Amino acid sequence: MSYDIKRSISLYSYQDEYYDGLLDLEGCLRETAKTGATGVELLAEQMIKRFPNPIEDEKFRENWFATLDKYGLVPSCYDAFLENRIFPNRTLSLGEQVNMMKRDLRLAKLLGFPVIRTLVSTPMDVIEGSLEYAEQVGVKIGLEVHAPFSLNSDWAEGYLSMIRRTGTKFFGFIPDMGIFCKNLPDVVRDKARRMGATEEGLKIVDDAYAARVARGFTKIKYDLDLGKANMEYRMANGMAEMMEAVEKAGANPGNMWYAENSFTYSWSEPQDIIDNIGVIFHTHAKFYNVHEDLQETAVALPEVIEAFKKAGYQGFLSSEYEGGEHLRDVGVDSITQVARHQEAMRRLIEE
Amino acid sequence: MAARVIFDPEGFKNMEENGEVTGFSFRYKHQYYRGITLSIVHDVSVNIDGEDIPRENISLTVNGETFTLDQMTTVIDPDYRWEFGEYATVNVKKPGGLKAGTHTLVSVQHIAPSYMPFPWIRECKTEFTI
Repeated sequence: MSYDIKRSISLYSYQDEYYDGLLDLEGCLRETAKTGATGVELLAEQMIKRFPNPIEDEKFRENWFATLDKYGLVPSCYDAFLENRIFPNRTLSLGEQVNMMKRDLRLAKLLGFPVIRTLVSTPMDVIEGSLEYAEQVGVKIGLEVHAPFSLNSDWAEGYLSMIRRTGTKFFGFIPDMGIFCKNLPDVVRDKARRMGATEEGLKIVDDAYAARVARGFTKIKYDLDLGKANMEYRMANGMAEMMEAVEKAGANPGNMWYAENSFTYSWSEPQDIIDNIGVIFHTHAKFYNVHEDLQETAVALPEVIEAFKKAGYQGFLSSEYEGGEHLRDVGVDSITQVARHQEAMRRLIEE
Repeated sequence: MAARVIFDPEGFKNMEENGEVTGFSFRYKHQYYRGITLSIVHDVSVNIDGEDIPRENISLTVNGETFTLDQMTTVIDPDYRWEFGEYATVNVKKPGGLKAGTHTLVSVQHIAPSYMPFPWIRECKTEFTI
């Protein structure tokens, strides 16, 4: 099948430079264009101050589109956060949540985004309640499939049956490449070492991860109580036994942190992309550390991009750099990391 | 490259009211990754030189308006978000304020983004001289 894979950057990737005041929103767009990416993914709440007011302002939008034109960029995905627990004493009612979702769809439309990213915590009723409006404004809702969730699972099946039942063309998935990690990121291991981790303790965790990859992960169940679902998932994947072994080996804070952190990555077969391609609107090309030789150490990028090609994918792969948070004690260079990741993807797409 | 800066190095001050020192203030950035309504900031604890400050003696100033931690639970106005990468001022009531010299400050941010099963808790620690 012929594919048309486009490259995008989630401006989330530049958050450390933004935090430090080294890049503003336009600076992030300029860096995006320099890499050769054509798509822009935005967390409006991260880089548009006084959200959502500026988006309602015509002048702000004129400037947004003029800046995109200046750098030859197009909007790819708007990352929404359904703040359904905005008040600490209650969860918003279904109607309030649907209205919030509609607000985000409308804001995305105003900024030219064809897709919004919604999170796994979004109740099915809220998604269903927003479909008609999504169709009306022509913006699709993509549910992020982020580790520990996965595509070919009972969890995903719940959403697929909703798609079949409603016949909607406006809801689908946004896989996050953190679900295709063959190894734990080296930047995480190095941070654990700076926290005093022993090699013996690290090896226990690395071996346990390799065993999970070889055996296949036990999938997470659908449950709106994400804390409960996540804990069950961790236990089903051998967390208790592994933690006990790490504790026996010395239990220093670096090793314990590494052990705990190892459950935020997972491995799914790239075949999952091919099986679900009809409902994949957009993709988070999550990465952690790309070396000078353009090798990303955790995500199996060559296999994953091969699967997107085989599947005939027509959407964006949007770089999402998440190694920075493990380097904040020594310094982060997102600009270099993103440029390398884009070049690695370009070669794999074009080869 | 250097480690991330959390506290405003110029932000440590004693607060005065009618010629009396009533406490101290400092400025820092939240450690979550997007701008947030103050309503999801469930706690900001302050420990100065080993002394825990009672919750009711702590308030935050954002964009020129000051809210107690309890008041913050209902603040959702877009003009008073704690923006990503921006300092908020933390005001601490403590009669007499801080003596001249070096102090150790530990402040823990408890932020509760709706989608997260557990709150985002980050300890921010610094030494400063006043």
